[in-house]
Amino acid sequence: MTANAKTGLTLAIVCAAFSALALAFLADAGGTRWPRPAIPLVDTNFLDKATTRRSYADLVRAGEDLSDFDCYACHDKKKPPPLRLDTNGNIIVAKEHPDIVMGHGSHGRNNNCFNCHNETNLVLLQPRDGRELKFEDTPRLCGSCHGPTFRDWEAGAHGRTSGYWDRSLGAIERKQCVNCHNPHSPRFPSRKPAPGPHPLREIGATAGPQTGEE
Amino acid sequence: MDRRSFLRTSAVLTTGLAALAASLKPLLEMNDFPTMERFLQKYYKEMTPQDMDKVLRRIENEVEQQYGLRPHVRDLKPMNGVEFVYCLNLTRCIGCRKCVHACVAENNQSRDPEIQYIRVLRLPDGSLDTDKAEHFYAPDSVPEKGYFYMPVQCQQCKNPPCVKVCPVHATWQEKDGITVIDYDWCIGCRYCEAACPYWARRFNFTKPSIPKERLNPEMAYLGNRPRRQGVMEKCHFCLQRTRAGRYPACLEVCPAGARKFGNVLDPNSEVSYILRSKRVFIQLKEEMGTSPRFFYYFDV
Repeated sequence: MTANAKTGLTLAIVCAAFSALALAFLADAGGTRWPRPAIPLVDTNFLDKATTRRSYADLVRAGEDLSDFDCYACHDKKKPPPLRLDTNGNIIVAKEHPDIVMGHGSHGRNNNCFNCHNETNLVLLQPRDGRELKFEDTPRLCGSCHGPTFRDWEAGAHGRTSGYWDRSLGAIERKQCVNCHNPHSPRFPSRKPAPGPHPLREIGATAGPQTGEE
Repeated sequence: MDRRSFLRTSAVLTTGLAALAASLKPLLEMNDFPTMERFLQKYYKEMTPQDMDKVLRRIENEVEQQYGLRPHVRDLKPMNGVEFVYCLNLTRCIGCRKCVHACVAENNQSRDPEIQYIRVLRLPDGSLDTDKAEHFYAPDSVPEKGYFYMPVQCQQCKNPPCVKVCPVHATWQEKDGITVIDYDWCIGCRYCEAACPYWARRFNFTKPSIPKERLNPEMAYLGNRPRRQGVMEKCHFCLQRTRAGRYPACLEVCPAGARKFGNVLDPNSEVSYILRSKRVFIQLKEEMGTSPRFFYYFDV
């Protein structure tokens, strides 16, 4: 082969190689993209800052209907309500109070109504030391047994404190015990979790694109 | 030049240039080029208040153009005598992930792909071994028996490895303890993402897609203003809220009150109370020497 022909051949091969490369890039060979399911916008329930319950103090502040708390609409002022126990010694909640399910303390240790409610004056609460507390003042009742938690709550370390960490710039809003804990069944309720991270591929899927789509 | 050599040379050149153009095809997918004004912007620490003012107006205009809503963008400076610390009570966290989504909503993060600064790990009781952690748990109800939950986000380390490796100083730590990023200075090399032991840093692989109705118009330059494709972002302790004295979004939404935030230099703050009175504290990956400002603790 002459030198000229050799050069010609080399250049022809180089041209062919570049053209192949160009075509490969343009046709996107080696770079697959498989479809991802669209990520739905998160349900606004998960962005809600409201507590699960509203306390008596909240209802008073909002000026709402308090007739549910008018005990003497049904009860007799002169007679304290009787406690009914079943054969195992557990409290039977009257059917007139359908939304009360007793579950306070492990093994039902604190399931006696008059551990917290004052039987001679039903609009008051009674901690063990004989004080009388109003329904707005529930943290002091809970704190009379749960001392360390009450102390933490007063310092802002237990429960929800929102608003301004810099008290000189604005007020805080501290939630009461009963805003999160149902006093008759105080265990913090479980709930459905919000969606987790969205990976590019479904967890457990094998490698490669779906059926021939690009 | 004779005809043969002309034809040869031009054939080679043309195919070479075609191959070059084809190999640059990925650039066609980039749809978020900076404007000349942004490209010529000064470094944050060298800007005068007048420069910053112009930049804030530019950002407001851009956001209004794109989302149809005029935001309020400020340049919030650190407060004096303040060092932020975050305490997280692992006995209380129920793993509901509301903090993750409150953060996404507050900080204008991309929704598709969804960037989440906070990652909640589910660990089996009795172990802090993150190899046993489950990131993608999705039961019907939390908390699950036998597990506890640990949310991880930027720990705002006292000795941050991400700041050390940034080649252009686009990220630095401010005097209130928050490690910030200047999104207009970041070149997107992702060294910081590699350096962070907590995987706190997120990269915008695509142009962030924020639905118009969920845009948060209260923005800060170093905080939650919308980022562009090709820059890093991370938790900045909601500085648009915390530097104005408010709690971060993740704390406000936590239903269990597991998160506590405040100024550790103030002896009356709840974080000072916690650090004084609680007994068991965990700092993640303490042995790396990053000295994080995030304290996990257990209590009764």
